[in-house]
Amino acid sequence: MHSAATAAPLTEAQEGLWYAQQLDPGNPLFNTGHCTEIRGPLDRARFSAAISQTLAEADALALNFSDGNAGPRQWIDARRRPVLEQVVLTASGDAARHARQLMRQDLETPVDPCSAPLARHVLFSLGEELHFWYQRVHHLAADGYGMALIESRALQLYRQSGGAQGHGKPLTPFQRVVADDAAYRVSGQRRQDAAFWRGQLRDADGIGSLAEASAMSAHRILQARQNLSAETVALLQQRQANAQCAWPAILTALVAAYVQRHAGQNPVIVGAPWMGRMGHASARCVATVMNVMPMRLELDQDAPLDEVFRRCAGQLTLAHRHGRYRSEQLRRDLGLPGGQGRIHGPLVNILPFDAAYRRAGLDARQEVLCAGPVDDFNFNFRAAPDASDLRLELEANPKLYRADEVQQHLTRFAAFLHAALQAQTLRPVQTLHGAEFEHWVHGVNQTSHAVPDTTLVALVAQTCAAHPQAEALRAADRSIDFAGFDTLVGHAARRLQAAGVGRGDIVAVALPRSLEMVLSLHAIQRAGAAWLPLDTGQPAARSARILGVAQPAALIGEPDTLAGLACTCPTLAVTSLFAAPEHPGPKSAAALPEVQPGDPAYVIFTSGSTGEPKGVVVSHRAIVNRLLWMREHYGLSADDCFLQKTPYTFDVSVWELFLPMLCAAPLVVAAPDVHRDPLALAELIQREGVDVVHFVPSMLAAFLDEPASRGLALRMVFCSGEALSARLRDRFHVCLSAALHNLYGPTEAAVDVSWWPANADDRSDPVPIGFPVWNTQLHVLDACRRPLPAGVRGQLYLAGVQLADGYLGRPGLTAARFVANPFSTRPDARMYDTGDLARWRIDGAVEYLGRADHQVKLRGQRIELGEIEAALGQHPLCRQLTVALRPDTAGELRLIAYVVPPDGHPAGQQAQDGQAILDHARQQLPPAMVPSAVVWLAALPLSRNGKLDSKALPAPDFTPQAMRLPTTPGEIEVAHAFQHILGLPEPPGADDDFFALGGHSLLAARLASALRQDTGAKLTLGAVFEHPTVAGLAGWLEHLADDAAASDEAGFGPLFTLRAARVGAPAALFCIHPAGGLSWCYGPLARNLSAARPVYGLQSPVLAGTPHGIGSLRELATLYVDRLQALQAHGPYHLLGWSVGGIIAQDMACVLRSRDAEVGVVALLDAYPSEVWRARPPAAADDAWRAILHIAGFDPASLPDLDLGRDSVIAFLRGRDHPLGALTDPQLHGILEAVAFNNALVRAHRQQRYDGELLYFRAALDHQADGLDPRAWEPWVAGLHVHDVPSLHGDLPGPPALAHWLPVLDDRLQVADTPVPAAPDP
Amino acid sequence: MSDALTLERMRQDAADILHLDAAEIGDDDNLMELGLDSLRAMTLAMSWRQAGAAIEFTDLVDDVTLGSWWQLVQAAEPR
Repeated sequence: MHSAATAAPLTEAQEGLWYAQQLDPGNPLFNTGHCTEIRGPLDRARFSAAISQTLAEADALALNFSDGNAGPRQWIDARRRPVLEQVVLTASGDAARHARQLMRQDLETPVDPCSAPLARHVLFSLGEELHFWYQRVHHLAADGYGMALIESRALQLYRQSGGAQGHGKPLTPFQRVVADDAAYRVSGQRRQDAAFWRGQLRDADGIGSLAEASAMSAHRILQARQNLSAETVALLQQRQANAQCAWPAILTALVAAYVQRHAGQNPVIVGAPWMGRMGHASARCVATVMNVMPMRLELDQDAPLDEVFRRCAGQLTLAHRHGRYRSEQLRRDLGLPGGQGRIHGPLVNILPFDAAYRRAGLDARQEVLCAGPVDDFNFNFRAAPDASDLRLELEANPKLYRADEVQQHLTRFAAFLHAALQAQTLRPVQTLHGAEFEHWVHGVNQTSHAVPDTTLVALVAQTCAAHPQAEALRAADRSIDFAGFDTLVGHAARRLQAAGVGRGDIVAVALPRSLEMVLSLHAIQRAGAAWLPLDTGQPAARSARILGVAQPAALIGEPDTLAGLACTCPTLAVTSLFAAPEHPGPKSAAALPEVQPGDPAYVIFTSGSTGEPKGVVVSHRAIVNRLLWMREHYGLSADDCFLQKTPYTFDVSVWELFLPMLCAAPLVVAAPDVHRDPLALAELIQREGVDVVHFVPSMLAAFLDEPASRGLALRMVFCSGEALSARLRDRFHVCLSAALHNLYGPTEAAVDVSWWPANADDRSDPVPIGFPVWNTQLHVLDACRRPLPAGVRGQLYLAGVQLADGYLGRPGLTAARFVANPFSTRPDARMYDTGDLARWRIDGAVEYLGRADHQVKLRGQRIELGEIEAALGQHPLCRQLTVALRPDTAGELRLIAYVVPPDGHPAGQQAQDGQAILDHARQQLPPAMVPSAVVWLAALPLSRNGKLDSKALPAPDFTPQAMRLPTTPGEIEVAHAFQHILGLPEPPGADDDFFALGGHSLLAARLASALRQDTGAKLTLGAVFEHPTVAGLAGWLEHLADDAAASDEAGFGPLFTLRAARVGAPAALFCIHPAGGLSWCYGPLARNLSAARPVYGLQSPVLAGTPHGIGSLRELATLYVDRLQALQAHGPYHLLGWSVGGIIAQDMACVLRSRDAEVGVVALLDAYPSEVWRARPPAAADDAWRAILHIAGFDPASLPDLDLGRDSVIAFLRGRDHPLGALTDPQLHGILEAVAFNNALVRAHRQQRYDGELLYFRAALDHQADGLDPRAWEPWVAGLHVHDVPSLHGDLPGPPALAHWLPVLDDRLQVADTPVPAAPDP
Repeated sequence: MSDALTLERMRQDAADILHLDAAEIGDDDNLMELGLDSLRAMTLAMSWRQAGAAIEFTDLVDDVTLGSWWQLVQAAEPR
């Protein structure tokens, strides 16, 4: 391999790097760089000679490359051998800095291996006593070990030339590594290795790291480094002896344990570099050999740690036996090509060093400037073989990490390591240490605030006494002041007392929203009892279960309701409770009980995950803290008018029902069903002058949709109960000029425990749930309840005064959810496990990330539905959405996105837009998380509390629909037009296809014209081709009404959807346009292809104007491949092209192969290679018009009298009412340009060989005279299967010819779809 | 060199680091198959250098047998 003629293929290791650089050619990180700083005297001549000799031996440094049809090749090019450059910098002032600057500049210049030498070596002299030896080598030629070999060999030669004896064994030539690699590729060992690794990674869940996202390497690296303390080293050495396990395994296990805490997964997979040198041909060869092994480590939190270390050592030993199998190949085996997805988390790179310089009598310090690209995060440990001088160097991808985060990991890991080395098991070892622990446990929870130890009863009574004349309650036509309120409540309380209700009891209430309902709750309070609200609309059985658990002392309701409720306790009709007292006069002598702060204030039942409702008991002390915080925090006062609209079974109602009485403010009580009626609500708010109102986000969205809500003079809107999306926040501020506040809290912690001002200028996404309220602590903990730092997802726990007492009559459940608080100094302190996922922001606000049980498992992958929702929520068509896991008709679970589109979204666009949303999802999410279908909803179904009712989501329809009748006025009009033009006996269904019903181009032109006249819309012929169904065309007409400019693009865009993708559809067929640039001709093909296969037509960019940067057919093919890869992330890619389209298809197949993409069927319809055309005389000027006539289906030869010019051809077409005649002038011009452009590209095109098969359909009735023969393709393909079709060239895509060749194509497509089991190369 | 390196001492050192009996290691046995990894090889190279042998880790990884290492040690006269 010493000349281009004898070039060799790349090794597998090089291939990985080669393709990585192809993806990012401008990335300078493929340059690896070392700098050796030598202090003291140096015999420069001898040293230079030693280096020069080494550079001559390390022949890989002189590699040259070419990239051709057969893939990249390499050879040793003597002209590329690096010559040691000598740079003397003694004169300059700050020579060292200057030298470093020169090195940095050099290193930051990306090297194209095909055009520039791979290596550069410079000896900087900065005086007699200071030298820098700078090495820059492209990663294709050396890995870190290769670089070290260069150094040790040079030092060995330097020592020898200084008189030391040595064996002087030269470095191994690179060719031996190439040969060794070739042998491995075909070995049984490689097959065994492949099986081993596939087994290791079988069923691996989404692979976690320190960051949630993954990315390709940036062009620079973040670094942080520190020497680990002598004490840590001593602990490591001690542990090594005790555990009988080498220190690299200990460090690997502990990095994995550290990652486990951040990724929240167990097991975790870390990357372990494998040097691959010992005992191989590469042992003494400068080359790139290093591989990364994904080590899947189970981190048992309770197993003896020494055992964990030994198990890790055992796994490493086993893995080393299979370490040669490339991780890039494994990635392909697992269907994760390119930079997509991880197969391991952070790298644990253990680099024992050898003090070679000291032995050469030099005082030298070596620095690794760059060791190659960093995709994620690397832990590099450098140490002497006995672990002394241990140094930790972190490297991170700046696309995923911030510099301060990397620095934090350095400190955090060093402390974690130090603690873990002394631990017996992992569980008690904290992830955070010292100041960090202090900050995320206590610093962010500095909420202590003095609150009077009192009760709601006492606070309400104070207001009644202080503001007797102020308005307390208002409903419909009634208003009550605080004096009247006090009297009514007092009387009712005494009646309750008389009925046997006492302090500490529970009184159930079953009332619709009304003044009496509000008064009842206050009366129950004053009687010393806790209220228990019952939903009057819920099934009697549920009420009965609740009453059975609660055993209330009394039940208040309307007589009708009471009759339907089975209750053993006394019942009180609400009318009698508030009837005027029979004996007005002195108040009853019996004193009402003295309620205590620890007494229960209310009991609210929430639905449990098992379906059994659980009663949450909340004390006065807890709710008083919440209400007084809100009053002060938001400056609420008697000037604010409150609204009670939240159902009283939902704990958010508690502040609506009690806070106004603490502010001496009026409370407007909405009529029973108003909370679900946006219009009525808007009118009520307007009429009553409401200032403060609460919305669950779903209801807020519906409210903002109501035009009557615009411009309402609200002062403050509170959201809670669901995640408030950033989109809704922003829409709120467009619609209303009120303050918006996001609150969060479960029923188990007195309504809300955190707050966030969702201001108009808030750009947070997600909108945080914010900071803790008074006397409250938020904790984000891992599965072992260890605190987590900012940015790491964990479970949210709550602590503080607002915690509920527990679940009524459920001590076991209470103990399970209200656990001991390890972060409090009070021994009895508790902490509530919310079951919510959250993470800290750096500013100490908490982000809510969904329910822990919103996590579903689909085909072995743990999936967070909230994450999918967040990704889809960025799409403009998703005004509201939710994602659910639903079984399809076959019972297989699928992810379904339920989407509420913005107003006015045309129904006809749904199929296409659903696809667009899924395409968006494909760009944002791993394949397993992309929903199978989008279901459009007018609104999300809501439960009685106004929260999303996921059980009411419709099942998606996976089966083809029965005929759907046209419904909208637009659909009915289009259906009539179809019926008229096609002469159908009755109007077609909404989903019927014009062409499937017998329509063709001419009829399509008539349809377009008829609809233009009927609707006045600028409907083009292209639009009929692009939207051939009734609903689709009606949707397009609606779209035109909004966007008239769109009409010109219809059918002339770069991508023509011939048949849209459906759920579970096989890989798409991509059809390439013929010379005219349009793909409309493939319509019949698309309609007749089986298996619901999506079909897309690629259309010429020339149709939309002269394209920039497309000067060759290769460039055009590359552009098209970009487009289809954007549309479909994975192969197989099936291609089909008629005529010029076939030439392009063959070239696209080559481009796809060069990108390592899987090519499926490549079908050519009567296309001939470019040299056939070059051999013929250049096209005459009128050829373009001849071609247009061909496209139109006329044989120019049969029209000898037709003048082949622009005007005459158009007149001819229009005279025959041909659809092409209906095109606008710019469109005709575009086609004309496309013909000329494509013919020019074909003539200049140089075919490359496609290393696969062509499926070829020949127009057997043609070519009698012109001698065109498909065998002209033979030099350019590996296989050619020709099928003769009894057809003329121009008729090939039409239905009669299709009947001959479509079954063959169908068959081949289906065979190509069947996945071939991944097998190693033969 | 007072503690000049011998083949038998090398065999003993290798046996110690691999938790084997010296008798179990033949001159031509591939030490990697007996569990030698690069860290251990580096440790051996370091200790043999201290015993005066001009031997580098990179020399040991080529042909990982005691026999070939002994040849290297003999070829390189002590410094």
